[in-house]
Amino acid sequence: MPGIDECLSGAMAITGARSASLVDWSSGLALGSLGESPAGEHETTAAEATDLVRAAVESQTFTASEDRRAPLQDIIVTAGRSYHLICFIDTVFDSRLVLHLWLDREEGNLAGARYRLQALAEELVLG
Amino acid sequence: MSAHAAPTALLPPTVPRTPGEAVGLLAAREATGALRGPLGSVYLTDGLVTHAESDRAPDLGDLLTGCGRLAPGEWRELVEVHGPHARVAAALVDQGRITRGELELGHLETLFDAAFFVLADTGGGLWRFETGARHWLGPVAAVDAARVCRESERRRHLLDGIWPWPQLDTAPVRPAEAARRPSRRPPGRRRRELLDHADGRRTPAELARLLGRSGFGVTADVRRLAAAGLLDSAPAVVPGPVSVPGPAAASAPAPAAVPVSVPEPVPVAAPVPAQPPPPAAAEPAPAPEVPRSGGLHRRVPGATLTGAGAPGAVAAGAVTSVPAAGSTAYGPRPLGAHALGAHAAGAPERGAPAPGAAPRSDRPPIPAAAHPLTVPDPDIALLTRVLTLLEARL
Repeated sequence: MPGIDECLSGAMAITGARSASLVDWSSGLALGSLGESPAGEHETTAAEATDLVRAAVESQTFTASEDRRAPLQDIIVTAGRSYHLICFIDTVFDSRLVLHLWLDREEGNLAGARYRLQALAEELVLG
Repeated sequence: MSAHAAPTALLPPTVPRTPGEAVGLLAAREATGALRGPLGSVYLTDGLVTHAESDRAPDLGDLLTGCGRLAPGEWRELVEVHGPHARVAAALVDQGRITRGELELGHLETLFDAAFFVLADTGGGLWRFETGARHWLGPVAAVDAARVCRESERRRHLLDGIWPWPQLDTAPVRPAEAARRPSRRPPGRRRRELLDHADGRRTPAELARLLGRSGFGVTADVRRLAAAGLLDSAPAVVPGPVSVPGPAAASAPAPAAVPVSVPEPVPVAAPVPAQPPPPAAAEPAPAPEVPRSGGLHRRVPGATLTGAGAPGAVAAGAVTSVPAAGSTAYGPRPLGAHALGAHAAGAPERGAPAPGAAPRSDRPPIPAAAHPLTVPDPDIALLTRVLTLLEARL
């Protein structure tokens, strides 16, 4: 049964992965991180990713017509050299968690990485 | 942001001055036991933080029963049976109640949550370390003590950045007048639920437990709602009889309670600014109200805009705009204007505004923005001064 460490290791095993973090976006806390941080420190990265997540979650535009409980599945940021995949984790108890994967654009495959990350997020919760 | 607590861990002081320093000192000694303060306890095992608990933060049991995964009775039984052996966590997973991942997520969230309330407490009081104490939940994960202290400090700064009003964290909270207007519903499901459950009796900690959410998350949301002018603390209700002046001052809202019970929650409710709405103001209301048998929008006695008595005006005003007479003549109280959903501040000449409500573009969202608390970045310094003044008068 996977725990946080196994989940993050699994994310780092995705081709092209440069870092993986489990972030609580209610506070900006990184519950766990592996790999190099794009911002130098995982704590900074978590706090900044939190700002992005909150902006999306709290907007009418992205959430109004969606399922109330879990309106968003993931956020993808495409940059020149990399992708950032932010996948929401749906736990039975109230939590505000995302998996953040930083992916090298040359090496990685966005579609494959997205599916794999979602599977990891589900496994973490469902076992 | 992360540098604050680091020296604590490197060079632990011999006499701790803050809870964070105490934890750093204990961590440096690789202590095992519980540091107990006024608001809760932090448990260490060989210098690593393994648990934290506080009355201000829901624990794992609250999370699991709050969402319905476990019945409260089931949880109590688990703790009674396995608590003495510090095997509750293991039992939860062994019995298939939750997965390993859920356990770790819930444990870490509640650990950092409770540690924040325990360690950010600067109130002094009696602190002691109980050597050898172990938590009934049993081992799940261990966190570096410096990281816990750093995170607590960061959260404290985060809250102050949102709205520097710590009194909100412990007082019962209630929706502010502005929150009655549907147009002012806050963003996000959680914040709306929170607002709906703030009844003037529950504190943020009680709300967190009720909703099965993290104490910090609720505290931050409470401060965000307060910063948006949608929520405030119930004025000194707890002390009892002494508090009469507070509610008395707030008794003005009483008439405004009526709009809430009006079937349509359309923006009718005048936010009851300064003027008490006596019969004089109430008079124009009934006239338009009765003919509107279509039931579009019911005026409420005292809902301001007394100048807008013409029936046609009200009908149109209810939809998009109101004759400018109303909003301009009563400039000082634009609240009334946008209480009727009027964006028509710039519609001077129109008795019966065009449905298109073109004037909207003239001056952007004047009525809404005229409300000081709708500004995205409120002038916190100013508001703090006002707050201090008001408190001084109580």
